[in-house]
Amino acid sequence: MKFKVTKGKITAAVIIVLVLVVSFVLSLIHNQVCIRDSAHTYGLFRYSGGGRGCGVFQKGCGGMGEGRGLTAGASVTPGALGALGDEDGDGADGVTGPAVASGPAATTSESVVKPTPAGIESRPGGVEGGLTAEEKLKLAASMGGSSPNVEKGSESYSAEQGMEINASTGKDQYLTDPVPEGKPVPVEPQNAAVSDKKMTCTLSVRCDSILNNMDWLDPEKVELVPADGVIFASQKVTFYEGESVFNLLQREMKNNKIHMEFVNTPIYNSAYIEGINNLYEFDCGELSGWMYKVNGWFPNYGCSRYQLKEGDVVEWVYTCDLGRDVGGYYATGGE
Amino acid sequence: MPREASKTGWGGAAREGGAFAGYHPAVNFLYFAFVLIASMFFMHPVCLGISLCCAFLYSILLSGKRAVRFNFIYMIPMMLVAALVNPAFNHEGATILTYLRSGNPLTLESILYGFAAAVMMISVICWFSCYNAVMTSDKFIYLFGRVIPALSLILSMALRFVPRFKAQIKVISNAQRCVGRDVSNGSILQRARHGLTILSIMITWALENAIETADSMRSRGYGLPGRTAFSIFRFDRRDKIALAVIGGLGLYVFAGAAMGGLYWRYFPTTKGAFTGIYSISLFSAYGGLCLTPAVIELEETRKWKLLRSNI
Repeated sequence: MKFKVTKGKITAAVIIVLVLVVSFVLSLIHNQVCIRDSAHTYGLFRYSGGGRGCGVFQKGCGGMGEGRGLTAGASVTPGALGALGDEDGDGADGVTGPAVASGPAATTSESVVKPTPAGIESRPGGVEGGLTAEEKLKLAASMGGSSPNVEKGSESYSAEQGMEINASTGKDQYLTDPVPEGKPVPVEPQNAAVSDKKMTCTLSVRCDSILNNMDWLDPEKVELVPADGVIFASQKVTFYEGESVFNLLQREMKNNKIHMEFVNTPIYNSAYIEGINNLYEFDCGELSGWMYKVNGWFPNYGCSRYQLKEGDVVEWVYTCDLGRDVGGYYATGGE
Repeated sequence: MPREASKTGWGGAAREGGAFAGYHPAVNFLYFAFVLIASMFFMHPVCLGISLCCAFLYSILLSGKRAVRFNFIYMIPMMLVAALVNPAFNHEGATILTYLRSGNPLTLESILYGFAAAVMMISVICWFSCYNAVMTSDKFIYLFGRVIPALSLILSMALRFVPRFKAQIKVISNAQRCVGRDVSNGSILQRARHGLTILSIMITWALENAIETADSMRSRGYGLPGRTAFSIFRFDRRDKIALAVIGGLGLYVFAGAAMGGLYWRYFPTTKGAFTGIYSISLFSAYGGLCLTPAVIELEETRKWKLLRSNI
C-alpha cells in the first residue's frame, strides 16, 4: 500500500484547507471563536473530579475539618480579625485581610478582576487537583503556626462544659479538639431540642477573598463572584431555639433562592458545605473552600454542631488558602 | 468449526459488515478512531445529537431489526436511568428547580448534564457495536500485527472473547442437551449441577484453546521479523478517496474543537457556541464524518439495485 499523490487527493486537501482557512477567518471576523482551552471536557473533570476531590478534602481532614475552625479570642471583632489577618500575611501570598473583614461595603468599586500575572496554573495544586491528602497535610505543616487569634483549646474547660474527651487521643468521639476557654462546646444535632421559640441572629455569606485571587479562580466561575464579594448581605434573620448554624444557612439560602450544596459527614457528625452560589470548594485552588465563624470565632467543629444563641453573628467566608487569608487557619499537629 | 469458518471465511470477510467493511482496514480504523474519540470528548449537545443519531442509523444499517430491538429495549432505558441518576448525586447548577428530600437542590443543569452523559455513553456503546461488526480481528491484526505483534494478538483475542465464549457455550450446552444434561433438564438442583458442569467444560476449553492458539501462532512464526501478513486487502482508489474525506473532515473537526469552536459548558449555567458560520461548519463536518459509512452503504445498495434492474 504505497501512498501516491494523485490529482484527486491534492484537490481534496486543497479544498479542505481552503474551507478551514475561510471559516477560521470568518469566525475571527464574527468573533465566534472563544479561545479557551477545550473547556467542554471540563464538565467531565468536574463531574468525576469533584467527587474524588471532595473525598480527599474530607478525609485529609483530620486536619482540615478542624482547619475550618479555631480562631480569635472572645474579644476580637471581625474587623480586628481582618487587620490581624493582614499582619499575618507574610507577603508571599499577597492576601490582605481588610477585604475580608471590613464588611460588605468596603470593597465594592475597585474589586474588578485584577490582571493575572501568573494565571490559573500558579494556584496551589494546579488546575486539576494535584494534591493528595498527605501533600495537603504536609503543606499545612509547612505553613507555620495558626493564624493570629487562634487559641489553643482548653481541655479542662471543655470537659467542664460537657465535652467527652478521649484521654488517649485528646479529642472527642467526632475527632474534635477541645474548644478554647469561653467558647461553646459542640451540641450534637441528634440531641438538640428545637422549640417553636423564634430568635434572631445575623447572617452573612461572603466570598471577597476570591477577589484577591481572581487569577486562581476557575474561569467558568468568574461570573458568579459579585463585584463586592457579598453573596448574602449581613442581615437579621430568624431561627428557632436549638437550631444549628447549618439549619440557619440551609433555610436562608433556600428562602433567598441561593444555591447551596452540602454533604453529611458521619465521621464529624456534621454537614459539610461544599458550595454556596455555585462557588465550590477547590474552585479557587486546592486550598479553597467555605468556612464559618460565629461572633468572630472560627469554631473547630462542623456547622451542624454549633447551636445558635440569640444575637449571634454568623459569617460564612470563602478561603483560598486553608483559612489563612480569612484569619482562620488552624495549625494541626505539633506546636 | 463450520460456524467460525463461515464468519471469517475469505469471501465473507469483505462483505460481512456491509459495504464500508469492504474498504481497506486503515480507512475503517481511522473512521472509528475519529468517531469514538469525538463521541467521548465532545460534550456539545449538537455533537452528541449527531453522534447518537448516526450511531443508531449505522447500527441499524449494519444489523437491521436486531439493532433496532437492542437500541430501543436496552439503550433507551439505560439512557433514561443514567440521566436520572446524575441529579441525585450532582447538585451543581444555577437553576434550582426544587429541593430533594436530602435537602440539596435539584438543578436543571445537573439534569441536562445527566442526559448529555447518558447520550454520550450509549452512543459510544452503539459505535463500538458497529466497530465490532466492521473491524474484524483479521483486519486489526493486519493493521497492527507488524507494529505491535504481541499486543495486537492479545487485543484481538480479548475483543473476540465474549462473542466466542457465547458461541462455544451454545455448542457445549447443545451437546449436553443431547445426553439430557442441559440446564433445561431435571430439578432445580440438577439444573444447577448441569450448569456448573457446562461452565467447567467451558473453562477447560478456554484455557486449552488459549494455549493452542499461542502455540499455533508461534509455530507459524507470528511476530518474527520479515514475516509478511496474509492479506486480502488492497488500497485502491476508492480507499484513497474515503481516507481523504474521513481524514480531512476529522482533522477539521478536531482542529475546530481545539480552537474552542465546539465550546460548551454545563456548569454553573449551560451555554456555549451554537450559531455562527464557524460552529455550523464544524457541526456539518462532524455530521459528514459520522455519516460517511452510511452514505457509502446506501450508495452501494442503490447501485446494486440499479444493476439488478438493468439485467
